[in-house]
Amino acid sequence: MTAPSGPAPAGVPAVRCRSLGVSFGAVRALHDVSLELAPGRIHALVGQNGAGKTTLAKVLGGLQVPDAGDVRIAGRDIPPGDVRAAKAAGLAMVHQHFSLPPSFTVAEALELTAARPGGRAVYRRGDLQRRWQEDVAEIGGTAALSTRIRDLPVEARQSLEIVRALATEARLLLLDEPTALLTPVAIDSLFERLRSLRDGGVTILVVLHKLREVAAVADTVSVLRDGELVLGPAEMSEVSQGRLSDAIVGPGGHADSAVGVRAAAHESTETLLELAGTSSSESAFEPGLTAVDLRVEAGEIVGIAGVEGNGQRSLVSVIAGLTPVTEGTVRIGGDEVTAAAPARRRLRGLRLVPFDRNAEGISRSAPLWLNQSALRLLGRRRGRSPLISLRQYKRQASEAMDLWRVRYDTATQPAESLSGGNVQRLILSRELADGVEVLVAAQPTRGLDFAATEFVRRSLRGLREAGAGVLLVSSDLDELFELSDRLLVMYGGRIVAEFDGPYDRRAVGDAMTGAVR
Amino acid sequence: MTSGLRRAVWTVVLVVVSFLITALILRVSGYSVGDVFSGIIQGAITATGASTSSIRWAIPLLLIALGVVVGFRAGFFNIGGQGQFYMGACSALAISLGWREGPAGLVILCGTLAAMLAGVLWSLFPGWLRVRFGTDEVLTTLMMSFIGALVLQYLTAGPMRNPQGTGQTAASERIPEAFRLTGGSGVSLTVLLLVAGVTVLVWLVLERTRFGLTMTLVGRNATMARWQGINVRRVGLGAFALSGALAGLAGAVELYGPAARLVTGFSPEVGFTAVVVALVGLLNVWGTVVAAIFFGGLQAAILFLPIVTDLPPPALVLLHGMVAFLVTIKFRAVRRRRAAQTEATAG
Amino acid sequence: MEQILATTLRSAAPLVLVAMAGVFAFRAGIFHLGLEGLMIAGAFATVAVGDTTGSVELGVLAAIGVCLLLSALYWWVIGPLGANVIIAGLGLTSIGLGGTAYALGAIFDVRGSLFTDVVLPRPVRNITEGAGVIVAEHSIFVWITPLIVLAAWVVLRRSRFGLRLAAVGEYPFAARSAGVNPSMVRLQAILIAGALCALGGAELSVGALRNFTENMTNGRGFIAFVAVIFGAWHPIGAAFAGLFFGFAEAIGIQSQINITERVPREFVLMIPFVLTIFAVWLGGLWRRRSLEAEAGYAELREPDF
Repeated sequence: MTAPSGPAPAGVPAVRCRSLGVSFGAVRALHDVSLELAPGRIHALVGQNGAGKTTLAKVLGGLQVPDAGDVRIAGRDIPPGDVRAAKAAGLAMVHQHFSLPPSFTVAEALELTAARPGGRAVYRRGDLQRRWQEDVAEIGGTAALSTRIRDLPVEARQSLEIVRALATEARLLLLDEPTALLTPVAIDSLFERLRSLRDGGVTILVVLHKLREVAAVADTVSVLRDGELVLGPAEMSEVSQGRLSDAIVGPGGHADSAVGVRAAAHESTETLLELAGTSSSESAFEPGLTAVDLRVEAGEIVGIAGVEGNGQRSLVSVIAGLTPVTEGTVRIGGDEVTAAAPARRRLRGLRLVPFDRNAEGISRSAPLWLNQSALRLLGRRRGRSPLISLRQYKRQASEAMDLWRVRYDTATQPAESLSGGNVQRLILSRELADGVEVLVAAQPTRGLDFAATEFVRRSLRGLREAGAGVLLVSSDLDELFELSDRLLVMYGGRIVAEFDGPYDRRAVGDAMTGAVR
Repeated sequence: MTSGLRRAVWTVVLVVVSFLITALILRVSGYSVGDVFSGIIQGAITATGASTSSIRWAIPLLLIALGVVVGFRAGFFNIGGQGQFYMGACSALAISLGWREGPAGLVILCGTLAAMLAGVLWSLFPGWLRVRFGTDEVLTTLMMSFIGALVLQYLTAGPMRNPQGTGQTAASERIPEAFRLTGGSGVSLTVLLLVAGVTVLVWLVLERTRFGLTMTLVGRNATMARWQGINVRRVGLGAFALSGALAGLAGAVELYGPAARLVTGFSPEVGFTAVVVALVGLLNVWGTVVAAIFFGGLQAAILFLPIVTDLPPPALVLLHGMVAFLVTIKFRAVRRRRAAQTEATAG
Repeated sequence: MEQILATTLRSAAPLVLVAMAGVFAFRAGIFHLGLEGLMIAGAFATVAVGDTTGSVELGVLAAIGVCLLLSALYWWVIGPLGANVIIAGLGLTSIGLGGTAYALGAIFDVRGSLFTDVVLPRPVRNITEGAGVIVAEHSIFVWITPLIVLAAWVVLRRSRFGLRLAAVGEYPFAARSAGVNPSMVRLQAILIAGALCALGGAELSVGALRNFTENMTNGRGFIAFVAVIFGAWHPIGAAFAGLFFGFAEAIGIQSQINITERVPREFVLMIPFVLTIFAVWLGGLWRRRSLEAEAGYAELREPDF
């Protein structure tokens, strides 16, 4: 396995694929995608979630076998699903999520994934570290080679992924949503590196989510929608922002209207959620809270900004009652619940949209009606028969799901059969059914397509109109700016800044990196 | 075909395949499959007393397997039914021998409750370790099972040993005849009604109570259940307790029914077979009833077989192992592979 | 005292060998509860073939062959066919226990025990007093067990293969994106585990003893598995855990001879199981901590497509 030396001959595209098709059951992830990418440029690939971007990236990288079509990299045919052949042709991939095993040391992870020739089957630790020293030093990476991946900060992991990708002198670098976990500053420096790599002759294909980022870094842009290539590759200078967003959203991008929310009636100045001097102990992967003061009044949306991993999970978990409070108090709807069980908080009117909707928000294998009825299982009901009527449960669940326009066939199908947007509707139909005092929404639109995102945002606004309180935790600054009445910034488990609109992106960004105070 | 029916058919296919493989092994090692098969039919159904014997063996399997189903429903893998069964039987024996003069009804009631309590304790300890510390329950329930077998061995060889006993294996004294619910056949109307009642009760708890639905949610995704405000630990402990109570009850029924005394290492395979029964029954109450009767019939047949063939009894262990080995194979996985193969050969 | 130490080594050797098997499987992400079944299959095959041919080498080779075959079937069932790892593993154990007891009756027409003249070579013999007793009369497998542990450590902790194995067990996505086929790596791990179980079984039947007895493993496969967890799935740790359980067993054997009057034998026999529960508890605490540290990856699981 040797890397080709020098750039590919002029005229040979860095990547050429023809009529690629991939289906997962009934879902068409890619359909008849043909694409040619010129060498030595930065190509952006954009599209909504589920448009097929990641699938295309995986097919090019050999991690997904296509049902139809073929791939050539730098003029070489790549057998379908052959990771090694793709690598040998000079392709290196940086995945959407980290590809390095958390318990490995940096040196071990590089040895595993970079597969540079010359290594020995059996090694000594010192030799292994010397072998990879230069690569890590070159990028100014300060990570010691004996550090475990899980102990590295997110930015260092991301840099390491790129080091790993370039260790084999790749001529084609494929990055799948590399900006998702980075701060604005880190994104700028990532783009700087991509440009210098391009100037060194490397072809780059980068999957991006935000048009602002596309405009900042890309030379050409291609758009996928519903698995089909609808635009490009087109020179960035020749495509207007408007045409680009039309191509992404498509003609069917109209969202349906939001749903009436039934919240408890409130005086407009009532405090529905209050944390006073609240602290919690750190979890293994995130700082705990340190003396957090926070109030959510009736009829307002309070945003929480911050780079992921700065205590947002601890915050939501403390409010939900899943992490114990070490100091301070938590009040919901005026009642102190600092030591109350999660169930009592739910019965008091706390509603939650958790971070990871598939793992924390629903039970994927359980039927829809049971997922929808989960809150109905809480609390004691004296004097009622211990036996319940399944028919009644299913009917109530179907009614709520119809009201929230969840698209489903029967209430008994498993929740995993729903798309991301529908899962979020299901969760909202459960959490906002009735008696909402305060909703804590964690990353409620992450990974949703345009229409579903709009629906969720309208629902949050509707909740505010209805007089409930909303705490919105998000890593999407645009979303926070658009929805929040007030914005708090978390850094290292503390609230380090508070902003009122209109918001200054730079000031908020600085606060997120801990640059203020 | 509904997905439930499809799963049932697929399970039957896998069980049949396990039988065929075992039959092949018997054939290769020189036994006549025809003789063995007709012996099984006789021993399980047609011979005198065979169907009673099948039911007799199905009862403990059913009760313990229902406990496995309850555990699975909440996401726990209680494979220690054997030990819970033994401890139940020992407790019932202790009450019955200690209070020989008591009124039969009361002694049986106390003995049965003590048996269930013992089963609960034997299963709740690993359950508590699991929900409190996250200790893997597969190994701890298994170890508790080994310990339970040694406790039985100790009791039957020591404190409860029948001083008049002469046999090589240690056994306890017999309980007074008045305490027995059945004759030696192990089946009587009382016992059948009891088992049927318990089965219906378990079904109601699992399928028609909020506790049952909560257990399902916890079993499917405990993280989501926690976010929904469900007290996952309490539900888990409840499931472990119910599971152990059922296995303990099986011990009491065994003692007051067919056994009347306890012998070291009696019914050594019943705990593991019950796990197989629950799986073949698709972790569903009525499916488990069918599977228990089926495996009860096999047990009855294997005890009958020496009369007609010279098949070594461990063949049954081999068969159970084969079923367990294969029964969880996924239909989808097989179909996907076949599709890939036809594609490969066509292309 | 010397006697106890000698018995410890003898009891520990099969446990450590099978524990190494467990470590290989565990590192590849397989909760292998079929070790007991493989071990007894190995013990039986050694005696059956060794006694028939009169050659202990052929017996051991046959044991390795049988265990490799059973392991390959196990891989096929839990990998490509998607069966549950734990249940299929317990099934494999039952197949081993039931199958060997059945074969004992069907092939050799005996129930209980099959005695044999073949025995593994014993390099050091005829020492009856002093510290030398500790190392005397051990089979060659006892002597090579430390070498096997060392080899396991090198392979798992200092080789590329070990990195691939660990990646497959910990984070299959990492392995796949590095061009490694997780299914094949698991097969290799399971086959290595099978061969080690065969050695453990052979040591049990013709190393320490000269017979095969129904159910002679008596839970050792499970105890070896627990040694894996007790030893934090590190080869050296698991080896020491195996040694410790061997020591507990030696005490049990000694107490059967000496102190049965005061402590009922059953309670001494319980010691490994009680310790095992303690070990699983401790190992669980440890494992949960490290899992929590990796929980950040939960959000990064591969999406459906």
